[in-house]
Amino acid sequence: MPALQESKNNCTTLVVGLGNTLQCDDGLGVRAVEMLVDRDLPPDVIAEAPGTPGVGLINIMEGWSRVYIIDAAHLGKQPGTWRRFEPDEVRLIASEGLYSLHETEVADVLALSEAVGLLPDEVILYGMQPECIAWGEQLSLAVQTALPHLVDHIYHDLWKRKG
Amino acid sequence: MEKRINVHHVTRVEGHGNIVVEIKDGQVETCMFEVVETPRFFEAMLKGRTYQEASHITSRICGICATGHATASLRASEKALGVELSEQGWLLRKLTFHGEILDSHILHVYMLIAPDFLGVGSVIPLVSSHPEVVLRALRMKKLSGDLCAAITGRHTHPIAMTVGGFTHFPKASELKDLRQRLVDSRVDYQATVDLFASLPWPQFERDTEYVSLQKPDEYAFIDGDMVTTDGGRYAAEDYLKLTNEYLVPHSSAKWTRHKRDSYMVGSLARFNNNYNQLHPKAKDAAAKFGMKPKITNPYLNSAAQVIEIVHCIEDSIEIIDTLLSKGVKAEKPTPATRMPGEGVGTAEVPRGLLIHHYNIGEDGLMTDANCIIPTNQNIANLELDMKALVPQIMDQPADKMTLGLEMLVRAYDPCISCSVHVLRVGETR
Repeated sequence: MPALQESKNNCTTLVVGLGNTLQCDDGLGVRAVEMLVDRDLPPDVIAEAPGTPGVGLINIMEGWSRVYIIDAAHLGKQPGTWRRFEPDEVRLIASEGLYSLHETEVADVLALSEAVGLLPDEVILYGMQPECIAWGEQLSLAVQTALPHLVDHIYHDLWKRKG
Repeated sequence: MEKRINVHHVTRVEGHGNIVVEIKDGQVETCMFEVVETPRFFEAMLKGRTYQEASHITSRICGICATGHATASLRASEKALGVELSEQGWLLRKLTFHGEILDSHILHVYMLIAPDFLGVGSVIPLVSSHPEVVLRALRMKKLSGDLCAAITGRHTHPIAMTVGGFTHFPKASELKDLRQRLVDSRVDYQATVDLFASLPWPQFERDTEYVSLQKPDEYAFIDGDMVTTDGGRYAAEDYLKLTNEYLVPHSSAKWTRHKRDSYMVGSLARFNNNYNQLHPKAKDAAAKFGMKPKITNPYLNSAAQVIEIVHCIEDSIEIIDTLLSKGVKAEKPTPATRMPGEGVGTAEVPRGLLIHHYNIGEDGLMTDANCIIPTNQNIANLELDMKALVPQIMDQPADKMTLGLEMLVRAYDPCISCSVHVLRVGETR
């Protein structure tokens, strides 16, 4: 397993799956990346699932021109509902902390990243409403059903934006 | 005089804990540290899984201590199955472990502790008031993350560490690059020592029993006897004689005690027990803080973390020199020599002593597991500190008193979400 920096050669887009797979739906970002890497991704894309890097996410995103983040998010919607946050919205989240996440504190990390000037130009955030974030390794039925659709959307988006 | 302090979910700590203090007619009526997290079931998750999976599962217990849990888990399996690590395997384990200690300590002292001293609510305002401090912290954090990643593939999920050794090996060029960056970071650690040594650390003393691992030949992070400043010494297998876990009504985490009502684990405990084995440059850093054992001010746990940052950077440089001089070889992991087996793995993770105790069946499946987390061992001591501190500061305005108590909680660097795990049904411990 090479270190991330080493495998970065010629790649511009990073997909990051966040969350803890021991906490049911909290790990949906990691599961999504596992599904993505099984597919034929564009050659300039690396998908990684660092799990719960906390502030380390700043270092993980550093130097990439485009970063996709997939994470569980409290959207106040039905479990499995997902939303795409465009870069402008992500900057707003970063400056005002409008986005509520279970434990991962992604909003704080984005805010810090923005404040020190390390936020990549284009950060696209996909948040999916979890149903269950208790201890366990199973995704809820709602998330299990919705996740392939989200992965499909991201997969097509990656190809559409290639280069 | 009537005062009521109720801090619901202390910020800048991992997980959820509450401070509850009630003072009536000048008397402290209530003084508690409540742990309100949902219990974790990770021991139950291990049962029925293969021993090879255990370190990967337990490394996900905590995003900060992924390598620490993986290391204690691997040591438990290796001891259970009679697996001896090679010299190279030990060096790589120690090196990646240093990377995690650095990563966690840098996060704690800069992002969680410094804002209290610099008069801000979080690290974000520091970017405009003290940009050099935040950038230094991120630079040091990146180096420690890269150190872990070079050895284990990835810090927050150290996939290349396995029972008996490693499945991935750093190239000489990667090690040389890391070595140079570690050497260059001496400027950063010196600035870190100077900054933190200049801070007005709260004055508060309460002697307690300090517990850590100890080895004859090095400042212990992995393996060793469990020793205490009150004279206790136990082999890993006898950990129950040390920890004596018990339950209290206001905490969902188990508490521990040994010769006194509580004991303390973590950087300060390691410092008090193993000061003589610190790297000389770490001892120089300790001198800047005016610290020599035995230190009984719990706030200085964070200062001990800064001293350990120096130790880990210097020791990492020496480990890399040894690896480079011997040449890193792609070794196969050492195989198991027996099965079934029972083993206890111990490690000094950033917050203190971590214990994993495994039983592995003849089919290689885990039949039983017990994990004791540092924060569990610290909570009783933290609450007793609070009880001793409150009468000393109860004349202060409520906001100042609250800050003093919050800073005390943060000094322990608690990982409350990690510390909460349930007793198994029928357990007699």
